[in-house]
Amino acid sequence: MYLGVDVGGTHTDAVLLDEKGVISSYKAVTDRGNLLSSMSAAIEEVTKNVKRSEIGNINLSTTLSTNAIVENKLEEVGIIVSSGPGIHPKNYSIGSHFNIIPGSIDHRGKIIAGLDEKLLRDAVSGSVQKKLRVFAAVTKFSTRNPGQENEIGDSLSGIADFITLGHRMSPRLSFPRRIATSYYNSAVWRIYRDFADSIEKSLKGLGIGARINILKADGGTMPIALSRTIPVESILSGPAASILGIISLCDISEDSIILDIGGTTTDIAIFASGSPLIERDGIAFAGLPTHVRALKNSSIGIGGDSLITAADGKITVGPERRGPAMAVGGDRPALVDAMNITGSSAYGNVERSRAGIEKIAEAAGLTAEGAAAAAEEYAVGRIREEAGQMLRRINEKPVYTIHEMIEGIEIKPARIFVMGGPAEAFRDRLAAAFGIPVTVPENYGVANAIGAALAKTTFDIELFADTSSGVLIVPNLGIKKQAPGDYTVEKAEEDARNYLAGHVRSLGGEDSGVEVVESTSFRMVQGFSSAGRDIRVKCQIKPGVVMKMHGGVK
Amino acid sequence: MIKAGNRMGLVFFPAFDWAIEPTHPEREERLLYTQDQLREEGIFDVEGIIEFKPDMASEEDIMRTHFCFPDVKSVTTESHLISAGGAIRAARAVLDGEVVRAFALVRPPGHHSMKCVHGNRGFCNINNEAIMIEYIREHYPRKKIAIVDTDCHHGDGTQDIYWHDPDILFISIHQDGRTLYPGSGHVTELGGPNARGKTINIPLPPETSDDGFLYAIDKMVLPILEHFGPEFVVNSAGQDNHYSDPITNMNFSARGYAILNDRIKPDVAVLEGGYSIQGALPYVNLGIVLAMAGMDYSYVMEPDFDADAIRQEKDVTEYIKRLADTVLQNYFNPPPDGQAPDPGEFMMRKKRIYYDTDGIQESQLEAVMVCERCAGVYAVQSVSSVNELSYGIEIPVGACDTCYDEGLKIYNAARSENKFATIQLINRRDRSYVRM
Repeated sequence: MYLGVDVGGTHTDAVLLDEKGVISSYKAVTDRGNLLSSMSAAIEEVTKNVKRSEIGNINLSTTLSTNAIVENKLEEVGIIVSSGPGIHPKNYSIGSHFNIIPGSIDHRGKIIAGLDEKLLRDAVSGSVQKKLRVFAAVTKFSTRNPGQENEIGDSLSGIADFITLGHRMSPRLSFPRRIATSYYNSAVWRIYRDFADSIEKSLKGLGIGARINILKADGGTMPIALSRTIPVESILSGPAASILGIISLCDISEDSIILDIGGTTTDIAIFASGSPLIERDGIAFAGLPTHVRALKNSSIGIGGDSLITAADGKITVGPERRGPAMAVGGDRPALVDAMNITGSSAYGNVERSRAGIEKIAEAAGLTAEGAAAAAEEYAVGRIREEAGQMLRRINEKPVYTIHEMIEGIEIKPARIFVMGGPAEAFRDRLAAAFGIPVTVPENYGVANAIGAALAKTTFDIELFADTSSGVLIVPNLGIKKQAPGDYTVEKAEEDARNYLAGHVRSLGGEDSGVEVVESTSFRMVQGFSSAGRDIRVKCQIKPGVVMKMHGGVK
Repeated sequence: MIKAGNRMGLVFFPAFDWAIEPTHPEREERLLYTQDQLREEGIFDVEGIIEFKPDMASEEDIMRTHFCFPDVKSVTTESHLISAGGAIRAARAVLDGEVVRAFALVRPPGHHSMKCVHGNRGFCNINNEAIMIEYIREHYPRKKIAIVDTDCHHGDGTQDIYWHDPDILFISIHQDGRTLYPGSGHVTELGGPNARGKTINIPLPPETSDDGFLYAIDKMVLPILEHFGPEFVVNSAGQDNHYSDPITNMNFSARGYAILNDRIKPDVAVLEGGYSIQGALPYVNLGIVLAMAGMDYSYVMEPDFDADAIRQEKDVTEYIKRLADTVLQNYFNPPPDGQAPDPGEFMMRKKRIYYDTDGIQESQLEAVMVCERCAGVYAVQSVSSVNELSYGIEIPVGACDTCYDEGLKIYNAARSENKFATIQLINRRDRSYVRM
């Protein structure tokens, strides 16, 4: 049996399922002050009629780390960075304890200047005085040469409860993203560790001995043991859970648009040939770009509870939300109230909705029916506009080879999949606005929990080899070894696949679906003759579900 | 998050799958380390720096600018169309108000491509900047445009294209042609009879360092630009003046390049040459991007930078100071071309051009109408080791009625003769570009 729990900002959803389908499901309002109790209650409730020892796998999606960042419940982090020339590292100062130590590594991973040992010692002893217990060590180009990050890490041994080394967070370049990611990773470490301890204890108490995994924003999972070293990867996994839910409920093979229309927002995702798109770089939070990979997802302030306003005879919806809809006791009309008038829904007290919409209609010089229809039209129009912009951005994404420039594939959605409360009600309007068919899956109410339950372990690495200097490195796996002079891109691809598969197996995950995403081999030239090769292989296990749920579509 | 001082566009097209030959300086690897450096610096995340995908230049874009013999397809590949399209995209981003400045970090380069194209010379097939400028003049209300070419090699292609055009100021700063390819760009080359002083050459002695370059900018380029009053400024941003460049002999630094860009403040910069791909390009390109985005570049420095090692000799400084007088004289008070005939007459010029990359020899007989009202109708007969006698006729932007009529007359006369393998007409007044 698979158990999936999604502790969201509003609701906590849980579902227990097996190959035959959903066994039980659960939905309750999240207790924001105590996510652990929300999660435990959900697990207890959804498993109360089964043999708990037979649950094989549990996937959890939690807003714990996200909330810690948003609510600024972060532990103070001692950050030690070092960078060669470029943009001055002071521009990336974050937290209250940001130390810059002279030292320099170039883009080939060559050490240009060693770390200033005295200043490093000063920074360490300063941190001890300030009683800092968690740290982040980040140097420029550490994914080409992690030596100086390791040196900083060594200087903190015995002092730190936890150290984030930048190169272990992601194989990708971007010093500022590495700093932000490492900072947040250390800042949420302790609160996350306590949570993980409690969850493990609580599951044990319930007699559940299943493998426990944590959902990530890229739609994959990480085993709980690993998540303790990269807790930052647990942020913003909510949208991913919903998207995976759609994947498990529907057979998607074409280019598609996925909409999740909620109370406050509509989340939009784009699929290319049936697969969700991943952001080229990581997501940003609190305004800072990070290396945390995420499914491409855009959120706009259009939802059932979005406020309806009238100005200059024009009806608009959102992005504001002012409490619940009038139908359920609110005092200003929301989108759901309009839907109660057009007949696309019958939610709560329809008469109260009518009163609210009439007032708006009057201000705009319309009938109540006219205003309600205009509100729906506007909401669908906004969704259409945002999805269009998202598609344009994707299709106009820069490319770096002539081949991609000429052969570049354009994404042209052929179908829309819609989840969320207003999904069924908006079916026709969406079909008309987009001009393509609309599918509304059944069971979408807990699609997010189903998605969480069925997510598989993902990971991505980059192998970088330079046959002239004889270095082979896989930064986020901590691998550094000799690259033979006759090393080839084919061999590198094979090695990368094996490293990745081996790593995921060692974490207890399944190593199926390893794919090479990008692989290049450049002839390096010195003077006018060849001087070895620069080989780069990007390899990933892409997000997906371990199995499909049948009969979920109507 | 770090912010740009002004919005800046970056058209980055490294053409990772294109090379002239596997170990040629113009090869796949050229911008690989620049990409690494820009990514590691987080340039693509800076608020206000926007990355654009290049356009693909159309056949019309090329035919508006060049006489390609026998036709566009024979002398270009997709890579050239994308590179030129990258420059066009950069210009559009600025002129449409998407950004304040833009840098087309594209390859292959183009500034050695002349008006007539038979093949590749100096790693260039078509002239990216000229194609961009002609695109601008066709689609936007911009008339006077200045190009400052800071590649180490003389921008002989761009000079050739704008030799007769009084509305386009072309300034080239380069290593003295007596010591480097292509050998031209002497201070005495200052434009045809209709555009005297609108071509300005500043040949600098080998081993000129930051001081010399910035002196040339401050004392020569800036005063000339200020007087000319361009509505759009282009920088042909070759990076081979760098002290580590393998095929030149100058001593310019990455920070020097950033300062230079900051002083010229081009609307668009277009990458030209520069072949120290590990030691210079990552830092020079970073410096230029930061300067164009209005950001602090004072912390940009090559790992092996040593100010003392590249400081220029005293006699170099003295030479450049003396050069300033001649250069300013050439612009503000250009000596008349003694051989120029009266207005209404044609001035003839014979040229021999060698295409080093492709080993092609070309001979030209060029005729331009001396005209006081426009750039003058232009006609060039060209024969090369790969093409039989061909003819190019141009009715220039803003042609006067006389030059317009004359251009059509020449074209019609040529068509009735059986003398030319190919005839091309650039008719800017009617926006008609034909080949037969």
